[in-house]
Amino acid sequence: MPWPARVPARAVLLMAAASVVIFLCTAALPGDAADVLGGGRAGPGELARLRAEQGLDRPLHVRYLDWLAGVLTGDPGVSLITGRPIGELVAQRAGVTLTLAVLALAVGVPLTAALAWAAVRGPGWLRHPANAVIVAGAALPQAVVAAALVAWLSAGWGLFPPVSMLPAGEPAWSRPDLLALPVLTLALPIAAYGAALLRGAIGDVVTRPYVRDAELRGLPPATIVLRYVLPMIAAPATRLLAVTLGGLVAGTAVAETLFGLAGLGELLVTAISTRDVPVVQSVALLAAAVVVAGLTAADAAAPGRRRETARP
Amino acid sequence: MHTQLRRRSAAVVTAVALLAGCSGTAPGSSPAKSTATGTVRYAAPGSPSNAVTDPHGLLPGESDVVRMALTYDVLTVPGADGSTKPRLATAWRPDATLTRWRVTIRGDATFSDGRPVRAADALFSLRRMGRKAAENFGRMAMFDLDASTTIDDTTFELVTRKPYAEVGKALEGATFVVPEGSDDFGKPVPGSGPFRPTDKGGAQAVVYERNDDWWGPKPPASTIEVRAVPDPQARAQALLSGQVDLAGGVPATLARQQEGNSAVRLLRRPGATLYPLVMRLDTKPFDDLRVRQAVRLALDRQQLLDTVFLGYGEIGNDLITPKDPTSPATLRQRTRDLAQARKLMSEAGLADGVDLTLHTTTAYPGMDSAATLIAQQLAEIGMRVKVAVEPADTYFSAVYARKPFYLSYLGGIPFLDVVRVALTPGSPTNETAWQDRTWSAKLGKALAEPDDTERRALLGDLQAELRDQGGYAIWALSDRLDLARAGLSGVPEGIGFASAFIDQVSLDG
Repeated sequence: MPWPARVPARAVLLMAAASVVIFLCTAALPGDAADVLGGGRAGPGELARLRAEQGLDRPLHVRYLDWLAGVLTGDPGVSLITGRPIGELVAQRAGVTLTLAVLALAVGVPLTAALAWAAVRGPGWLRHPANAVIVAGAALPQAVVAAALVAWLSAGWGLFPPVSMLPAGEPAWSRPDLLALPVLTLALPIAAYGAALLRGAIGDVVTRPYVRDAELRGLPPATIVLRYVLPMIAAPATRLLAVTLGGLVAGTAVAETLFGLAGLGELLVTAISTRDVPVVQSVALLAAAVVVAGLTAADAAAPGRRRETARP
Repeated sequence: MHTQLRRRSAAVVTAVALLAGCSGTAPGSSPAKSTATGTVRYAAPGSPSNAVTDPHGLLPGESDVVRMALTYDVLTVPGADGSTKPRLATAWRPDATLTRWRVTIRGDATFSDGRPVRAADALFSLRRMGRKAAENFGRMAMFDLDASTTIDDTTFELVTRKPYAEVGKALEGATFVVPEGSDDFGKPVPGSGPFRPTDKGGAQAVVYERNDDWWGPKPPASTIEVRAVPDPQARAQALLSGQVDLAGGVPATLARQQEGNSAVRLLRRPGATLYPLVMRLDTKPFDDLRVRQAVRLALDRQQLLDTVFLGYGEIGNDLITPKDPTSPATLRQRTRDLAQARKLMSEAGLADGVDLTLHTTTAYPGMDSAATLIAQQLAEIGMRVKVAVEPADTYFSAVYARKPFYLSYLGGIPFLDVVRVALTPGSPTNETAWQDRTWSAKLGKALAEPDDTERRALLGDLQAELRDQGGYAIWALSDRLDLARAGLSGVPEGIGFASAFIDQVSLDG
C-alpha cells in the first residue's frame, strides 16, 4: 500500500481495535449499572427490570454494534446513571482537562528535554542526579507528587492554594493560580517518564559516526542538535508526545480528584466505579483517538524514521 | 489578578447602584449587609460526574439531595430532633382505619414556569417514585399509589397497604414534587423550591438563584453555589483556603487540627453515621443467639470510637437507629464483658474458637480500620477473624445482604426505613436474615396504633428486642463533621435528609 493510504488505514484499524478492547474491558468489570442504581437494596426482579430498561440484557455484540453505530453517527447515548447525554457531559469537562493537558505539556516538554540532556550529555556531576530524578520521578505515583507539591508550595511557601475550586462558569485558564499545582502534578511525572524513554534514543544518536564527525569538524553544538540530533529523535519524541497527550486526556483523574476539578479524568473514574459503561467507552475512545491521531501525525512527519528504514 | 480586577470593578458598580438606590429610599439602610449576603458556596460530598437531574431515582451523592432540595419542594421534612415537620404538605390526617390519609398541600406554591403546585402534581411525583422503587430503595412501598386519588387542587388521598400511622415520616425528605407529566429530566424541569438552578456553573458547580416567589421564609442568600467534591480532604482544604464557605463531611483528623481556629467553625451532627457489624442469623455460627451475644459483649466500643472516629461521636448500644425519636433512651449501656462472652462461646460449643471472614471496604472513611480492630477484639474470645477488604465499587452489590459477616453502612436513616429495607422477612436485602414472626406482627400492631405516645413505646420495644436478639452489633456512632467559615449560620441541624435543606444559610452570622 502506498504511504498516503497506509497511514489513515492504520489509524482506522487502530481505532477499531481500541473500541473492541475498550468494550471488552468494560464488559469484563464485575457488576453493572443496574447493581449500582439498585444500591444493593433492590431485589432480583427489580434488577432484571432495570437491566431491561437500560438494554443491559441484550447480547454483548448487539450492545457493541449499537454503541459503535451511535458513536459513528455522533450520538454516544446517555449516561446509565444520570440519564444525561454523554456528549454534553464530555463537552462540559473537556475544557478543564484540555487546559490541564496542554499546560502540562507546555511545562513537561521542555523539562523532558532538559532532563534527558542532563542525563546523557550534561556535565559529569549532573548526570547521576539527573538519572536519579528520572527514575524516581517516573516511578512516583501522581498522588505522592501532588501531596509533596501541596506540602511544599502551598503549606510551606503559601504560593498556591491546596485545592482548585474553579470559579463557576468561568473558563479554567481564567485562574492560573488555581491551575499551577494540578499542572505541576501532571507535568513532573510525564517529564521524568519522557526523559527515561528519550535518553536512550538521544544516547544512540549522539554516538552515531556522523554526529561524532560533526563534533570533530568543530560545528557549533546548536547546529549539531538542530541538524543531526533533533531529526533523528523527532519520530520517537512525537510518538511519545502523542501517547502522553492521550494519556493526559483520561489520566488526569488523580489530579482532578485531589484538587477538586470536574474534568474528563474524574468523569472516567466515576463512570468506571458506577459501571456507567457508555460513558467509560466514550471517554476512553476519545483518549484513544487522541493517541491514534498523534501517532498518525508522528508517522506522517517522521523523516528520521523513514530515512532509517530506507537504510539497509 | 484578572479576576480580582473584575471583582473590584463589580464591587464599584454595586456600590454605585446601592448609593443611587439608597438616595430615594430609607436612609441608613446598610449597603454592606446586602453585599455580604450575596453568594454562599457549598462544597458537598458527591461527584460532579454522576450528578443526577432526576429527583425520584437513585441520588448517588449527598450533593444531589442538596441540589434537589433547593430546586423542588418536598411534602414533609425531618426536624432537628427527628420529628416530622410540614413543608409543602400542611396536614396529613388519617381515617379511623389508618389506611386512608388526606394530605393537604399549601395552595400558594408555584412552579418556576408560573403554574400552581397542585395535589395532582404531588401525587404524580409520589407515583413516579413508586415506579422507580428499584432505584430509591422502595421508599413508597407502604402506599397503594394506584388506589390513591386526587381530591381537589390542594388535597389528595393516600392509601396505605396496611394500617400505617407514620405517613408523615414516610413523606419526609425525598418527596420532591415536580409538575405532573414530567418524565424527561435530561433538562431541568420547573421546580417550586426556594432556589432556581441556572446554567452559569458549567461542570464545576451548579449556581442557584433565589426564587423570590417561594412561599417560605425568604432565604438570606441571593445565590447558592453547590459543588460536588468527592475527596473529603479537598472539601476541607477548599474551605480553609477560602474557596468555599461551607464544606460538608470533612475528615476527623482535619477537624481536630482546626479546633481553636477562630476563622472557621466546626459543625457536629451527632449520630449521623454508623457502620453496623452484620451477623446473618441463617448462617453458622451466628444462627446461635449466644454467639451473637458473645460478639456484642466482646467489642471494646470506646476503643473503636477513639480509633475509627477519633472520638467524634458516641459509643453504640446496639440500637440500629439510636437517633430516631422512637428509639428507647433508658436501656443500660452494653459494655465489654469478656468473661461472659467466653462463657457464651463455650455454651455454644465453640470453646476452641471459630474461623470467620469479616468483609469490609474503603467506601467510607475508617471502615477498613474498624474491621481490623474488631478482628483483634474478637480474637480475645477465640474468634479467628480474617479481614477481607473488598473493592468499594462493588461492595453494596457483592457483599451487602449477601455475606454472613461484614460491616454495613447507615447514615441518618429513620427506624421504619431500616425496617422496610433490611428487617422485612423475605426482602432480598434482609441482611441479617431477621424473620421473627412475632416481631413482625408487633410491628404491624405498632403501625396500626393511632396514639402517638403508645405507638412510640411499641416501636421502642421492637428496637430493644432487635438489640438483644438480632444480628446487628452497633459499636459506635460517628458525628457528621462540617467546616464553615466563622460568619456562616443557618446550616440545618439534624441528620440524614434534614441536613440537605440549606436554603436558610447566611454569611452574616
